[in-house]
Amino acid sequence: MAAPETGREPVVSMRDIVKIYPDGTVALRGVNLDIYPGEVLGLLGENGAGKTTLMKILAGFLKPTSGYILLRGRRVVWHSAAEALRHGIGMVHQHLSLVPVFTAYENIILGLPSRMLAGARQRIEKLMEETGLEVPLDEVVELLSFGEQQRVEILRMLFRNVDVLILDEPTTNLTPNETETLFNAIRKLKQQGKSIVFITHKLREVLEITDRIVVMRRGRVVGELPRAMADPRLLARMMVGREVLMRVEKPPAKPGEVVLRVENLWVKRDIGTWGVRGVSFEIRAGEIFGIAGVEGNGQAELVEAITGLRRVERGKIYFLGRDVTNLGPAELYRMGMAHVPEDRRSTGLIMDMNVVENSILGLHRWERFLRNKWGMLNWAAAEEHAKELVKKYEIAAPGLYSPVKYLSGGNQQKLLLGREISKNPKLIVAAQPTRGLDVAATEYVRRMLVALRNQGHAVLLVSSDTDEVMQLSDRIAVMYRGRFVVVTRPEEVTEEKLGLYMGGIEQA
Amino acid sequence: MPESAALIFAVGVLNAMTPILLTAVGEIIAERAGVVNIGLEGIIMIGAMAATMAAEGFGPLAGLLAGIGVGALLGLLHAVLTAYLKGDHVIPGIGVNTLALGLVPFMLIVYWGSAGQHTVPRYAQVPKIAGYISPMPFIAILIAVAAWYILFKTPTGLKLRSVGENPVAADTVGILVERTQAVAVVVGAALAGLAGAFMSIDWLGVLTKEIAAGRGFIALALVVFSNWNPLWALGGALLFGTFDSLSQWLKVLHTGIPDTLINTLPYVVTLIAVAGVLGRVQPPRHAGIPYRRE
Amino acid sequence: MTVTAGNSLLERLRRDPRMHEAVLRFGESIIALVIGLTIGAVILWVSGYSPGEAYYYLFQSSLLDTYGLTSTLSFATPVLLTGLTFAIGARAGLFNIGAEGQLYMGALGATLLAWLAMHVPLLDSPLGTLVGLLLGAALGAGLALIAAMLRVYRGVHEVVSTIMLNWIAYWLVYYLQSQKLYWPKDPTKSIPVPPGARLPLLLPGTELSASFLIAIGFTVFTYYLLWHMVHGYELRASGLSPRAARYAGIDPNRSIMLAFVLGGVAAGLAGAGEVMGRPPHYAITSGLSNLVNMGFDGITVALIGANHPLGMIPAAIFIGALNAGSRAMQAFAGVPLEMVRIVEGVIIIALAVPGILHMIEEYLRRKRELREIAAKEAEASQAG
Repeated sequence: MAAPETGREPVVSMRDIVKIYPDGTVALRGVNLDIYPGEVLGLLGENGAGKTTLMKILAGFLKPTSGYILLRGRRVVWHSAAEALRHGIGMVHQHLSLVPVFTAYENIILGLPSRMLAGARQRIEKLMEETGLEVPLDEVVELLSFGEQQRVEILRMLFRNVDVLILDEPTTNLTPNETETLFNAIRKLKQQGKSIVFITHKLREVLEITDRIVVMRRGRVVGELPRAMADPRLLARMMVGREVLMRVEKPPAKPGEVVLRVENLWVKRDIGTWGVRGVSFEIRAGEIFGIAGVEGNGQAELVEAITGLRRVERGKIYFLGRDVTNLGPAELYRMGMAHVPEDRRSTGLIMDMNVVENSILGLHRWERFLRNKWGMLNWAAAEEHAKELVKKYEIAAPGLYSPVKYLSGGNQQKLLLGREISKNPKLIVAAQPTRGLDVAATEYVRRMLVALRNQGHAVLLVSSDTDEVMQLSDRIAVMYRGRFVVVTRPEEVTEEKLGLYMGGIEQA
Repeated sequence: MPESAALIFAVGVLNAMTPILLTAVGEIIAERAGVVNIGLEGIIMIGAMAATMAAEGFGPLAGLLAGIGVGALLGLLHAVLTAYLKGDHVIPGIGVNTLALGLVPFMLIVYWGSAGQHTVPRYAQVPKIAGYISPMPFIAILIAVAAWYILFKTPTGLKLRSVGENPVAADTVGILVERTQAVAVVVGAALAGLAGAFMSIDWLGVLTKEIAAGRGFIALALVVFSNWNPLWALGGALLFGTFDSLSQWLKVLHTGIPDTLINTLPYVVTLIAVAGVLGRVQPPRHAGIPYRRE
Repeated sequence: MTVTAGNSLLERLRRDPRMHEAVLRFGESIIALVIGLTIGAVILWVSGYSPGEAYYYLFQSSLLDTYGLTSTLSFATPVLLTGLTFAIGARAGLFNIGAEGQLYMGALGATLLAWLAMHVPLLDSPLGTLVGLLLGAALGAGLALIAAMLRVYRGVHEVVSTIMLNWIAYWLVYYLQSQKLYWPKDPTKSIPVPPGARLPLLLPGTELSASFLIAIGFTVFTYYLLWHMVHGYELRASGLSPRAARYAGIDPNRSIMLAFVLGGVAAGLAGAGEVMGRPPHYAITSGLSNLVNMGFDGITVALIGANHPLGMIPAAIFIGALNAGSRAMQAFAGVPLEMVRIVEGVIIIALAVPGILHMIEEYLRRKRELREIAAKEAEASQAG
């Protein structure tokens, strides 16, 4: 253990924390972590490494499957987030939990007993002055910028005198100026003796603001070092790691004609800001084009725009030579596009429908599944189709007529992938196709994608798993803040280098 | 209009306003905490019945308390089903309304031995100021103002509204979501029960098998129309009360304006209001949605 | 190894998830019915009646007697249709409680036919029947369409809009019945449907008319639509997951429109069927007294039948039996017929408890899975 200042007792210790979610996902596999007073601890790792889960357990939002927490040496069990908060541990989530129609002031004092409200306003104002986290107290929160809303949450925690403040990816939606304000506040809080846990996957930030860095990967702590000893290359290598997976064999690509061409694409996010800011590329038949990047840098919006689920504001998309900008998904599927969406549970499959019904989702209006022009479904054909998928992709299901919610994540993904492949597509768009899957299923899916490419399909792979992109892609783009910062080939780049691009440290 | 006639008209308006106001304010409290209860019509009816029973046995005060108590019990039932068991918010209300449609006429026959209606004896009725002015309308107005004050001017109200707007946020800062919702629904339903008691043992002095006559639904409309604000509900209830009394007068005066068509007015106005034609109304964002953790 | 027939049936029930689900839902409905009848019995007993006697006359007269059975089926007819209104909506993810008002509009459609027939004698014929049913269906669908458009274009929740529309329809039809379309010979009812345009009785001397066949037909149609046609598939997909529906190229708003309009047609037919098919009035009576609550009873039917058209047929017969048998119960056991509403109300409240059997099963499943996973993890960590 590399305690930063020997002789000081940790304020919080987490011991042997294991977390298995009800759906069977193993998020943490025995994690130990100490947090010392007056330090900024960087918790670094890729998506799905378990950082957020670990901190949610510390802040009382989740209960560990096993393991325990020591607070100043005493063992504690949280029954709620509120209890953790009362004991001085507060967490600011990526998705803020404020009451949108309340004012900033109301949000800060919400839930406090009346005896703590005397002079609250003055104390909040003093707090804002001390930390530099200024917000208009009487403005309704939903009218504030994201950065201001985040400050409201931090102030809410500070007003409750937290000793440990956990910030989950706090800079994702901040402007550079707002980030600077936040960092200054963090430095001041540290001087007051507070501990700050800074969850991130941005190398630059972790090097700028933290004192000590803990790196997580696949539910484990894989490294710990003081900032002084850290450098971006080392961190990137620790973060990405070597997978235990077998390498997928890949013969040289034989690219054919252009299948998809994207020209200067601009797409907005839900909240109205630009998600994709001028992206151009093309994919040919028989190649895998991989887009790497930390999540939230516009990949989701790009995928949705290509697959007809999100409006293109500017630019053009050509599929098989035809202008398909803002064409709906049904039409695109018919032309030969397949889409493995990043959220299979809420988008790609319907959990309460059975395997047969899910096996025709999106293909349900195809002639082979209709008996006549009145729209009578041919269930015999659908059942046959589902049976084929189950056999071909070795899907373990309780039965063809079981709701897919009773299938494991890996089998759900096989069903989804199999269904999309059964469209015999010219292009497969696969977003985070192995997220949350176990090793065997991950390997299966990856082999599948390579096999498709070998058969001459074009594949667009979007993944925040660097290793996956490196292994599978014939060409790689790294997306950062809505743009491609580099487009290269796997043999021309190292994972480390890729990590630096993803962290926004290097630009091509 | 002679002075006394004006006074009688005003009293009529106040009386007609009261049950709708009490019920609407109660539902505003419940919905502000995120629980929708469409069983108000049934609660008014059962409240009216229970109040009559208790008042005939133990006097008008007991009657009012019985109305409140029965309302609170039905509210508790709703709270258990919605806040704790996370069930659907609408179905129990339909059940309570149906139950009331059976229970009240059944009890009229079984308990009072009369089909259709039962006149509440004088001793069981709420005593009137100056012979014809009930204190209840003023109490209802006080309740509405107090509800507004508590909802919008106190930390308690802030907590309650946070549960209806974003229960996750409320949960995070230690507000007990389920308990807050339960209290709000019980209080809200108790007010509907009081409204029923007022109708039977005060205003009308008679218990009929269709005593609520749609007032539970008018109150629901008023909740939306008032933008979930008790003070606006007070204004709206006064308006409805005026219409109600006016239509009685119009009937007396034989003007030929069909009162059946006038009856659609509150509903039409509410539909227009929710459609956003008259500016926006903003329901509590988590109203009617069961809150589940993790 | 010997396998008895009983075992293999049980085995099949356990294996086929659709059967399994149906059994669970059936069990939950039965529990609710038992709770309803039990609480009803307690109320009867407390009120000094004999529950046994009351229930004997209730069900004897409605199910075991030919006239009673036809009466039961005739009462099952409108509530089956209005039940479909709710069920189709529920399958599309809606809470359409507007069948009550849509049924009034359907009855108004049939009454308009009666009024037209006064001026156009040609309509005193099966052609008139057709026109009346079409008018009823159209008016029911029209009212539903308002709620649909408010939902799709203005985001108004259908619970609010349909409650308002129910009352608007009530007072509108009330007004027309009493002021415009009343029968001069007996102003307490509307102009009756002329004999030639009435729905024929299936058995002379009973109240069971061809509207029963319409209801059954519509039920079968709905079943086919939801589970054997692509439109129904899309409707259910939208209801279960609007996001996934959009991903699959389905427009959830179209499903909402379809569900509302079909539901409106069902309720409209129910209302028109009541006016055109039920002796002796063949009209709307004062205060809509021969129509009220038929829409809300449909919600009970849908809930008991688990929103499945085929499950709703027995559910409708049960509710029909309560209504039909209540008269004999009143006549012979002296119990006020309103008793059946109490039972019905309790059943609805019992059905509002979220799936008891499902909850138990889910809990057991989760416990088992967690145990298995924990065991697997422990094994893996020992091995590693």
